[in-house]
Amino acid sequence: MSDTWLVILLLAVATFAIRMCGALLGQRLPQQGSWARALKALPGSLIVALVSVSLLAGGPAEWVAGAIALVVATLTRNLVLTMAVGIGAIWLLRFYA
Amino acid sequence: MVMDDKRAFARGFREILPLSMGAGIYGLAFGLLAAQAGLDDLEVGFMGTLVFAGASQIVAVERIVAGAGSLVAVVAGIALNLRLLLITASIRDVYAGRPFWQVVLGAHLTTDENWALMLAARARGEQAGYWYLVGAGINLILVWVVATVAGVSFASEIADPRALGMDFAFTAAFIAIARSLWAGRPDLVPWATSFLVVALLMLPGWVDASWAMIAGGVAGAVVAALGPGRHE
Repeated sequence: MSDTWLVILLLAVATFAIRMCGALLGQRLPQQGSWARALKALPGSLIVALVSVSLLAGGPAEWVAGAIALVVATLTRNLVLTMAVGIGAIWLLRFYA
Repeated sequence: MVMDDKRAFARGFREILPLSMGAGIYGLAFGLLAAQAGLDDLEVGFMGTLVFAGASQIVAVERIVAGAGSLVAVVAGIALNLRLLLITASIRDVYAGRPFWQVVLGAHLTTDENWALMLAARARGEQAGYWYLVGAGINLILVWVVATVAGVSFASEIADPRALGMDFAFTAAFIAIARSLWAGRPDLVPWATSFLVVALLMLPGWVDASWAMIAGGVAGAVVAALGPGRHE
Protein backbone atom coordinates (compact mmCIF):
# COMPACT_ATOMS: atom_id res chain seq x y z
CA MET A 1 0.00 0.00 0.00
CA SER A 2 1.30 3.44 -0.89
CA ASP A 3 1.96 6.13 1.69
CA THR A 4 -0.93 8.24 0.41
CA TRP A 5 -3.48 5.49 0.98
CA LEU A 6 -2.01 4.90 4.44
CA VAL A 7 -2.48 8.57 5.34
CA ILE A 8 -6.05 8.55 4.00
CA LEU A 9 -7.06 5.39 5.88
CA LEU A 10 -5.38 6.31 9.18
CA LEU A 11 -6.85 9.81 9.14
CA ALA A 12 -10.28 8.41 8.23
CA VAL A 13 -10.27 5.85 11.05
CA ALA A 14 -8.98 8.36 13.62
CA THR A 15 -11.48 11.05 12.59
CA PHE A 16 -14.39 8.64 12.75
CA ALA A 17 -13.25 7.41 16.19
CA ILE A 18 -13.08 11.03 17.41
CA ARG A 19 -16.61 11.78 16.18
CA MET A 20 -18.04 8.58 17.69
CA CYS A 21 -16.25 9.16 21.01
CA GLY A 22 -17.94 12.52 21.41
CA ALA A 23 -21.36 11.19 20.43
CA LEU A 24 -21.17 8.17 22.78
CA LEU A 25 -19.21 9.80 25.63
CA GLY A 26 -21.51 12.81 25.66
CA GLN A 27 -24.50 10.58 26.42
CA ARG A 28 -22.69 8.96 29.34
CA LEU A 29 -21.95 12.25 31.05
CA PRO A 30 -24.44 13.42 33.72
CA GLN A 31 -27.53 15.33 32.59
CA GLN A 32 -27.29 17.78 35.49
CA GLY A 33 -24.66 19.69 37.45
CA SER A 34 -21.37 21.13 36.23
CA TRP A 35 -20.79 18.63 33.39
CA ALA A 36 -24.19 19.43 31.92
CA ARG A 37 -23.58 23.17 32.27
CA ALA A 38 -20.19 22.85 30.58
CA LEU A 39 -21.59 20.83 27.66
CA LYS A 40 -24.41 23.31 27.23
CA ALA A 41 -22.02 26.24 27.10
CA LEU A 42 -19.54 24.42 24.86
CA PRO A 43 -21.03 25.22 21.41
CA GLY A 44 -20.99 28.99 21.97
CA SER A 45 -17.48 29.11 23.39
CA LEU A 46 -16.17 26.77 20.66
CA ILE A 47 -17.58 28.98 17.92
CA VAL A 48 -16.05 32.03 19.60
CA ALA A 49 -12.72 30.17 19.74
CA LEU A 50 -13.05 29.25 16.06
CA VAL A 51 -13.72 32.85 15.02
CA SER A 52 -10.94 34.10 17.31
CA VAL A 53 -8.41 31.78 15.67
CA SER A 54 -9.26 32.89 12.14
CA LEU A 55 -9.33 36.59 13.05
CA LEU A 56 -6.08 36.45 15.03
CA ALA A 57 -4.38 34.55 12.21
CA GLY A 58 -5.27 37.47 9.93
CA GLY A 59 -4.43 41.15 10.20
CA PRO A 60 -6.22 44.52 10.32
CA ALA A 61 -8.13 43.75 7.09
CA GLU A 62 -9.63 40.61 8.68
CA TRP A 63 -10.43 42.47 11.92
CA VAL A 64 -12.27 45.29 10.14
CA ALA A 65 -14.14 42.85 7.87
CA GLY A 66 -15.02 40.81 10.97
CA ALA A 67 -16.42 43.89 12.71
CA ILE A 68 -18.46 44.75 9.60
CA ALA A 69 -19.80 41.18 9.46
CA LEU A 70 -20.78 41.40 13.13
CA VAL A 71 -22.70 44.63 12.52
CA VAL A 72 -24.53 43.08 9.55
CA ALA A 73 -25.29 39.93 11.56
CA THR A 74 -26.67 42.01 14.45
CA LEU A 75 -28.81 44.22 12.22
CA THR A 76 -30.17 41.60 9.84
CA ARG A 77 -29.78 38.16 11.52
CA ASN A 78 -29.20 36.94 7.99
CA LEU A 79 -26.52 34.31 7.35
CA VAL A 80 -26.24 34.68 3.58
CA LEU A 81 -26.13 38.47 3.70
CA THR A 82 -23.48 38.40 6.44
CA MET A 83 -21.34 36.05 4.36
CA ALA A 84 -21.77 38.15 1.21
CA VAL A 85 -20.93 41.44 2.95
CA GLY A 86 -17.99 39.80 4.77
CA ILE A 87 -16.50 38.45 1.55
CA GLY A 88 -17.06 41.79 -0.22
CA ALA A 89 -15.48 43.71 2.66
CA ILE A 90 -12.36 41.54 2.87
CA TRP A 91 -11.93 41.72 -0.90
CA LEU A 92 -12.10 45.54 -0.91
CA LEU A 93 -9.87 45.88 2.17
CA ARG A 94 -7.17 43.60 0.77
CA PHE A 95 -7.38 45.27 -2.60
CA TYR A 96 -7.29 48.92 -1.52
CA ALA A 97 -5.84 48.98 1.99
CA MET B 1 -38.33 7.89 8.14
CA VAL B 2 -41.70 9.48 8.86
CA MET B 3 -43.03 12.65 7.28
CA ASP B 4 -41.59 15.04 9.87
CA ASP B 5 -38.16 13.43 9.49
CA LYS B 6 -38.25 13.86 5.71
CA ARG B 7 -39.25 17.48 6.11
CA ALA B 8 -36.43 18.09 8.60
CA PHE B 9 -33.96 16.37 6.24
CA ALA B 10 -35.08 18.57 3.33
CA ARG B 11 -34.89 21.71 5.45
CA GLY B 12 -31.34 20.93 6.60
CA PHE B 13 -30.36 20.06 3.04
CA ARG B 14 -31.70 23.42 1.81
CA GLU B 15 -30.57 25.74 4.61
CA ILE B 16 -26.93 24.56 4.50
CA LEU B 17 -26.63 25.68 0.84
CA PRO B 18 -24.76 28.97 1.42
CA LEU B 19 -22.29 27.15 3.66
CA SER B 20 -21.89 24.21 1.29
CA MET B 21 -21.15 26.66 -1.54
CA GLY B 22 -18.31 27.96 0.64
CA ALA B 23 -17.18 24.37 1.20
CA GLY B 24 -17.30 23.86 -2.57
CA ILE B 25 -14.88 26.73 -3.19
CA TYR B 26 -12.64 25.32 -0.50
CA GLY B 27 -12.95 21.88 -2.03
CA LEU B 28 -11.62 23.20 -5.34
CA ALA B 29 -8.68 24.76 -3.51
CA PHE B 30 -8.04 21.49 -1.70
CA GLY B 31 -8.04 19.59 -4.99
CA LEU B 32 -5.43 22.02 -6.26
CA LEU B 33 -3.21 21.28 -3.28
CA ALA B 34 -3.83 17.53 -3.59
CA ALA B 35 -2.65 17.66 -7.19
CA GLN B 36 0.62 19.23 -6.01
CA ALA B 37 0.96 16.37 -3.50
CA GLY B 38 0.57 13.87 -6.33
CA LEU B 39 -2.85 12.54 -5.32
CA ASP B 40 -5.17 11.30 -8.07
CA ASP B 41 -8.95 11.72 -8.33
CA LEU B 42 -9.69 8.30 -6.79
CA GLU B 43 -7.59 9.05 -3.72
CA VAL B 44 -9.13 12.50 -3.32
CA GLY B 45 -12.65 11.07 -3.68
CA PHE B 46 -12.05 8.43 -1.03
CA MET B 47 -10.38 10.91 1.28
CA GLY B 48 -13.32 13.33 1.04
CA THR B 49 -15.86 10.58 1.68
CA LEU B 50 -14.04 8.77 4.48
CA VAL B 51 -12.31 11.62 6.32
CA PHE B 52 -14.86 14.35 5.50
CA ALA B 53 -13.12 17.04 7.54
CA GLY B 54 -11.84 19.76 5.24
CA ALA B 55 -9.32 21.56 7.39
CA SER B 56 -7.62 18.33 8.48
CA GLN B 57 -7.43 17.12 4.87
CA ILE B 58 -5.81 20.39 3.85
CA VAL B 59 -3.29 20.23 6.70
CA ALA B 60 -2.42 16.56 6.10
CA VAL B 61 -1.91 17.04 2.37
CA GLU B 62 0.02 20.25 2.96
CA ARG B 63 2.39 18.25 5.22
CA ILE B 64 2.83 15.72 2.39
CA VAL B 65 3.66 18.55 -0.04
CA ALA B 66 6.17 19.86 2.51
CA GLY B 67 7.77 16.41 2.53
CA ALA B 68 7.09 15.89 6.23
CA GLY B 69 6.26 12.18 6.04
CA SER B 70 3.09 10.15 6.53
CA LEU B 71 3.08 10.02 10.31
CA VAL B 72 3.38 13.79 10.69
CA ALA B 73 0.61 14.28 8.13
CA VAL B 74 -1.74 11.98 10.05
CA VAL B 75 -0.92 13.47 13.47
CA ALA B 76 -1.41 17.03 12.17
CA GLY B 77 -4.79 16.03 10.75
CA ILE B 78 -5.84 14.35 14.00
CA ALA B 79 -4.82 17.36 16.10
CA LEU B 80 -7.06 19.53 13.98
CA ASN B 81 -9.96 17.10 14.32
CA LEU B 82 -9.92 16.74 18.11
CA ARG B 83 -12.42 19.60 18.27
CA LEU B 84 -14.93 17.26 16.57
CA LEU B 85 -15.05 15.32 19.85
CA LEU B 86 -16.27 18.44 21.60
CA ILE B 87 -18.65 19.20 18.74
CA THR B 88 -20.37 15.80 18.77
CA ALA B 89 -20.37 15.70 22.60
CA SER B 90 -22.05 19.10 22.75
CA ILE B 91 -25.07 17.85 20.75
CA ARG B 92 -25.40 14.51 22.53
CA ASP B 93 -29.22 14.82 22.57
CA VAL B 94 -29.21 14.51 18.76
CA TYR B 95 -27.81 10.96 18.81
CA ALA B 96 -29.49 9.84 22.04
CA GLY B 97 -31.79 6.80 21.79
CA ARG B 98 -31.05 6.24 18.08
CA PRO B 99 -30.22 2.87 16.49
CA PHE B 100 -26.48 2.33 16.21
CA TRP B 101 -26.34 2.78 12.42
CA GLN B 102 -27.99 6.19 12.80
CA VAL B 103 -25.45 7.22 15.44
CA VAL B 104 -22.65 6.11 13.08
CA LEU B 105 -24.17 7.98 10.12
CA GLY B 106 -24.97 11.11 12.13
CA ALA B 107 -21.57 11.25 13.80
CA HIS B 108 -19.69 10.81 10.51
CA LEU B 109 -21.78 13.57 8.87
CA THR B 110 -21.29 16.07 11.71
CA THR B 111 -19.03 18.97 10.74
CA ASP B 112 -18.51 22.50 12.04
CA GLU B 113 -20.89 23.81 9.40
CA ASN B 114 -24.04 21.72 9.91
CA TRP B 115 -23.47 21.60 13.68
CA ALA B 116 -23.38 25.39 13.86
CA LEU B 117 -26.30 25.75 11.43
CA MET B 118 -28.44 23.42 13.56
CA LEU B 119 -27.59 25.36 16.71
CA ALA B 120 -28.48 28.63 15.00
CA ALA B 121 -31.85 27.19 13.93
CA ARG B 122 -32.48 26.12 17.52
CA ALA B 123 -31.48 29.56 18.80
CA ARG B 124 -34.22 30.99 16.56
CA GLY B 125 -36.68 28.72 18.35
CA GLU B 126 -37.02 26.27 15.47
CA GLN B 127 -37.08 22.49 15.78
CA ALA B 128 -33.83 21.08 14.45
CA GLY B 129 -32.48 17.68 15.36
CA TYR B 130 -31.00 14.49 13.92
CA TRP B 131 -32.54 14.54 10.43
CA TYR B 132 -31.91 18.26 10.00
CA LEU B 133 -28.25 17.63 10.82
CA VAL B 134 -28.07 14.60 8.49
CA GLY B 135 -29.83 16.40 5.61
CA ALA B 136 -27.36 19.26 5.85
CA GLY B 137 -24.47 16.78 6.20
CA ILE B 138 -25.47 14.86 3.04
CA ASN B 139 -25.52 18.10 1.07
CA LEU B 140 -22.08 19.02 2.46
CA ILE B 141 -20.45 15.65 1.74
CA LEU B 142 -21.82 15.61 -1.85
CA VAL B 143 -20.57 19.12 -2.57
CA TRP B 144 -17.26 18.42 -0.82
CA VAL B 145 -16.49 15.22 -2.73
CA VAL B 146 -17.56 16.62 -6.11
CA ALA B 147 -15.62 19.86 -5.58
CA THR B 148 -12.42 18.20 -4.33
CA VAL B 149 -12.41 15.67 -7.19
CA ALA B 150 -13.11 18.47 -9.67
CA GLY B 151 -10.28 20.46 -8.09
CA VAL B 152 -7.70 17.70 -8.52
CA SER B 153 -8.91 16.95 -12.05
CA PHE B 154 -8.83 20.54 -13.29
CA ALA B 155 -6.02 21.77 -11.06
CA SER B 156 -4.40 23.97 -13.68
CA GLU B 157 -7.50 26.11 -14.33
CA ILE B 158 -8.51 27.17 -10.82
CA ALA B 159 -8.07 30.61 -9.24
CA ASP B 160 -6.76 31.07 -5.71
CA PRO B 161 -9.78 31.48 -3.35
CA ARG B 162 -7.81 33.93 -1.20
CA ALA B 163 -7.51 36.36 -4.09
CA LEU B 164 -11.31 36.39 -4.33
CA GLY B 165 -11.82 36.88 -0.58
CA MET B 166 -13.54 33.49 -0.42
CA ASP B 167 -11.33 32.29 2.43
CA PHE B 168 -13.28 34.72 4.66
CA ALA B 169 -16.64 33.06 3.86
CA PHE B 170 -16.57 30.72 6.85
CA THR B 171 -15.28 33.35 9.27
CA ALA B 172 -18.21 35.59 8.31
CA ALA B 173 -20.63 32.66 8.57
CA PHE B 174 -19.41 31.74 12.04
CA ILE B 175 -19.65 35.37 13.15
CA ALA B 176 -23.32 35.36 12.08
CA ILE B 177 -23.91 32.06 13.87
CA ALA B 178 -22.15 33.23 17.05
CA ARG B 179 -24.36 36.33 17.01
CA SER B 180 -27.49 34.18 16.83
CA LEU B 181 -26.26 31.98 19.70
CA TRP B 182 -25.61 34.99 21.95
CA ALA B 183 -28.15 34.78 24.77
CA GLY B 184 -27.14 37.86 26.75
CA ARG B 185 -25.01 38.72 29.79
CA PRO B 186 -24.41 35.15 31.10
CA ASP B 187 -22.46 34.43 27.90
CA LEU B 188 -20.14 37.40 28.34
CA VAL B 189 -17.58 35.91 30.75
CA PRO B 190 -17.37 32.44 29.10
CA TRP B 191 -17.03 33.95 25.62
CA ALA B 192 -14.46 36.52 26.72
CA THR B 193 -12.51 33.71 28.40
CA SER B 194 -12.60 31.68 25.22
CA PHE B 195 -11.24 34.59 23.18
CA LEU B 196 -8.53 35.49 25.73
CA VAL B 197 -7.27 31.92 26.03
CA VAL B 198 -7.03 31.63 22.24
CA ALA B 199 -5.21 34.98 22.01
CA LEU B 200 -2.79 34.21 24.86
CA LEU B 201 -1.85 30.80 23.48
CA MET B 202 -1.77 31.71 19.82
CA LEU B 203 -0.22 35.16 19.57
CA PRO B 204 3.15 34.36 21.20
CA GLY B 205 3.25 31.30 18.94
CA TRP B 206 3.43 28.90 21.89
CA VAL B 207 0.96 26.45 20.49
CA ASP B 208 -0.52 25.62 17.13
CA ALA B 209 -3.82 27.34 16.23
CA SER B 210 -5.83 24.10 16.42
CA TRP B 211 -4.71 23.47 20.01
CA ALA B 212 -5.44 27.10 20.92
CA MET B 213 -8.97 26.68 19.54
CA ILE B 214 -9.62 23.56 21.61
CA ALA B 215 -8.19 25.14 24.77
CA GLY B 216 -10.28 28.29 24.24
CA GLY B 217 -13.50 26.32 23.71
CA VAL B 218 -12.93 24.16 26.79
CA ALA B 219 -11.92 27.16 28.93
CA GLY B 220 -15.13 29.00 28.06
CA ALA B 221 -17.24 25.93 28.89
CA VAL B 222 -15.44 25.39 32.21
CA VAL B 223 -16.00 29.01 33.22
CA ALA B 224 -19.69 28.66 32.35
CA ALA B 225 -19.91 25.46 34.41
CA LEU B 226 -18.30 27.10 37.46
CA GLY B 227 -20.35 30.26 37.34
CA PRO B 228 -24.05 30.67 38.14
CA GLY B 229 -26.12 31.85 35.18
CA ARG B 230 -28.70 30.40 32.84
CA HIS B 231 -27.00 27.10 32.10
CA GLU B 232 -28.61 25.38 35.12
